[in-house]
Amino acid sequence: MADKPMTGQAFFVLTALADGPRHGYGIVGEVAGLSGGRVRLKIGSLYGVLDRLSAEGLIEPDREEAHDGRLRRYYRLTRDGRGALAEEAELRAATARVVRSRLGLAAEAAG
Amino acid sequence: MSGDLERRYRRVLRLLPGYYREQWEEDMVAALLDGWLTGDPEADEYISKAARPSWAEVASVAGLAARRYLGGAGAPRRYFAWGQAVRRVVLAVMLVHAVLGLGVLVRTAWSRHVFRWLPAPPASLMTVSPGGVWLTVYYVVNVAWIVIFVALVLGHYRTARVIAVLAIVPDLVALLQAQLTGTMPVPFGPWAFWVLLSLAPVLAMAAFHRDAPPAARRPWLLALPAGYLLVAVPLLAVQATGNFAWLPDFPGLCCLLVALACLAHAPRAWSRRADGSGVWSLALTLLAAVAGAYRIFSLTDYLHDPHLINVSLAELLLLVIAVALVAPDAARAQAATPAPPPYPHTMAA
Repeated sequence: MADKPMTGQAFFVLTALADGPRHGYGIVGEVAGLSGGRVRLKIGSLYGVLDRLSAEGLIEPDREEAHDGRLRRYYRLTRDGRGALAEEAELRAATARVVRSRLGLAAEAAG
Repeated sequence: MSGDLERRYRRVLRLLPGYYREQWEEDMVAALLDGWLTGDPEADEYISKAARPSWAEVASVAGLAARRYLGGAGAPRRYFAWGQAVRRVVLAVMLVHAVLGLGVLVRTAWSRHVFRWLPAPPASLMTVSPGGVWLTVYYVVNVAWIVIFVALVLGHYRTARVIAVLAIVPDLVALLQAQLTGTMPVPFGPWAFWVLLSLAPVLAMAAFHRDAPPAARRPWLLALPAGYLLVAVPLLAVQATGNFAWLPDFPGLCCLLVALACLAHAPRAWSRRADGSGVWSLALTLLAAVAGAYRIFSLTDYLHDPHLINVSLAELLLLVIAVALVAPDAARAQAATPAPPPYPHTMAA
């Protein structure tokens, strides 16, 4: 079975959880901030991603907190999730280095 | 405080399957309301009364619901069986389009003497093609169906979806043009073809999502030349003789092919030891429903000819008998299909 690459949305959600647990809307806000407003997760997309990451063992529920009479569920990265995020970040950084080099941006920045 | 808005959101979330709502609904409602409410009771009361779920939110929930009902790896058995069955139905319909497309290309090449070793095609095989820009569109669309089928089999779902949406537009334009200018020769047949065999399968391509297991490449890819050689070529040969009396029309051919497939699959469906036979039974039952509906709507073409009506009804009867052989297995499939585990996750490029 072919391995599947991580989607952009999954990458942003994992990144949003990298510095601590967050609840659903907290993740939406953090992803919007991280992406400079380019990625605005709708509820169907968010829970599609959370469901998949949870099934793959990359995130897990952290705790539930009552807020204005509603229960907020917080999610956190698992050890596998941390590893997967680090690996993906490294891959993206390596790709970005190649792109910058091919566009001549690295030389310009150095110069 | 959030009563009205919460009710509206819960109504939208009813689109999702029950098992999914049980797991995620409270969390989803909390996340949705967090996006609106400010913590100021007065403002929140106003917002709760006035705010409505946006169309984008509703669409995203509908998309999620479609992906869950037509489940992939890790989905509950029932939804996985439906997902697999719908994916096979879509592939089968795309295969039909691809074989038709291949047929058009081969016939065109033959009539233009590309196959120099073949004699010129008989007059009975010379079809009337549209002229001008429509001729180009006609060829492009026929090639597109082959590309769509191959892209789906190879797992390029997004490419297949985009091309498929574009491929069904020219037919719609032609149908609307014929309808509005009054040149449409028959009222229901072409529309039934477009709705049942073009629009519906393209919409059902939602079943090809990230969690969908890949199609078995080899058999599906081989099915294209096999379908052409075993179905299209014999029909072409009969057509070449100029004797059309023995040829079923296209809706009839669809009924007969699905009936034959049901008969071929029936021994497997009746042997309970055959693993995974139920998904094929469910797929064949769905295909029979599509072919049967197409046959029924196309009957209006023959209202003037009782003989053709009788032939069509006989085709329908054969289809019903054949599908009755696999329908019990299809019903069992919804509870008996094991879903494979979710995909292992790696950071492939």
